[in-house]
Amino acid sequence: VLGGAALLPAPQSISILSTNMKHFLTWSPVIVQGATVRYSVEFQGEYEREYANGSWIPISECSLTTATVCNLTEDISATVAYKLRVRAELGATRSQWGTTKGFFNRAMTSLTPPLLRAVADGHHLLVELADMGPSFQFWVLYWRKGQESRVQQKVVKEVSSVVHLDTMEAGAEYCVKAQTHVEAINRSSSFSPTQCVRAQGDTS
Amino acid sequence: GACRVSISMTEIRAGFTAIKTNIQSRDPIRTLSILSHPHSLHKVKSSDRCCITYQLFTFYVDKVFKHCRTEDSFVNRKISSIANSFLSTRRKLGQCREQNNCLCGEESTEKFKQILANYEGLNVTSAAMKSLGELDILLDWMEKSR
Repeated sequence: VLGGAALLPAPQSISILSTNMKHFLTWSPVIVQGATVRYSVEFQGEYEREYANGSWIPISECSLTTATVCNLTEDISATVAYKLRVRAELGATRSQWGTTKGFFNRAMTSLTPPLLRAVADGHHLLVELADMGPSFQFWVLYWRKGQESRVQQKVVKEVSSVVHLDTMEAGAEYCVKAQTHVEAINRSSSFSPTQCVRAQGDTS
Repeated sequence: GACRVSISMTEIRAGFTAIKTNIQSRDPIRTLSILSHPHSLHKVKSSDRCCITYQLFTFYVDKVFKHCRTEDSFVNRKISSIANSFLSTRRKLGQCREQNNCLCGEESTEKFKQILANYEGLNVTSAAMKSLGELDILLDWMEKSR
């Protein structure tokens, strides 16, 4: 265990993992034999740097935590450059702050294609979309197989369980694919794989 | 041309709603309004809306948020979220101004002068807390005048 004024090393390998507008700070644990090291995280937005004397704001859920990950999503809620820092604490001993290299802007989040399931319900073409949170819209493209030049688009702003796309001709095959769009950062994901389903009945 | 700016109103509104009761409880002077005295924002002509919006966002960024630090960590985090959203939005409005798409008429200039006079008529902390507490007045007006 640390004695007297022995220094507690600052956390290392500090990085931000951001996918689909969910942002997490992670770092390597600080090892002190026979002791439980805790950590505290603070953030600083562009506003704090430019207008509030470079102040830092603690994240209470990540104060004196033993975890080496912190959910930043609620606090990184503007499209500006943020800095994050974390320090180790053991009793009254505190390490230096470890700070992220460079800035993090939520516009850098990686966007994955949506999970979808195309459904033929009799003559109705439906699509089921997995909800991804309030920031997300879905741009759904659908067409009759063989008529790729007549693709139609539907923008889904709020995910209900099932979305009705079209009424299909009997026995015909229809295809669907979709991408997400996040208006707050004005970016879209790549498209999901295409899925095709066949309408009930015989082709005329 | 017109100034078309995407504003994360939902996020700003959610951040404010989370602390509205707390902030408004810190405002002892309920009989006076900073944004609505003597005239409501709804009286601003549509041609002046962009300019008054830019001026108000600048007002909140430059004057208000920095004087609203509290002893409550949750409240401070939400104020930071709103302040950084205002900063990001003000930057976009600023780009409109540079392209002369956000011109200031006499009316918005006069209205903004009145708001500053209302603000400076109080001590700074009371004025800042009151202004923050009136954010829903601004958000309501912005949503109605979209």
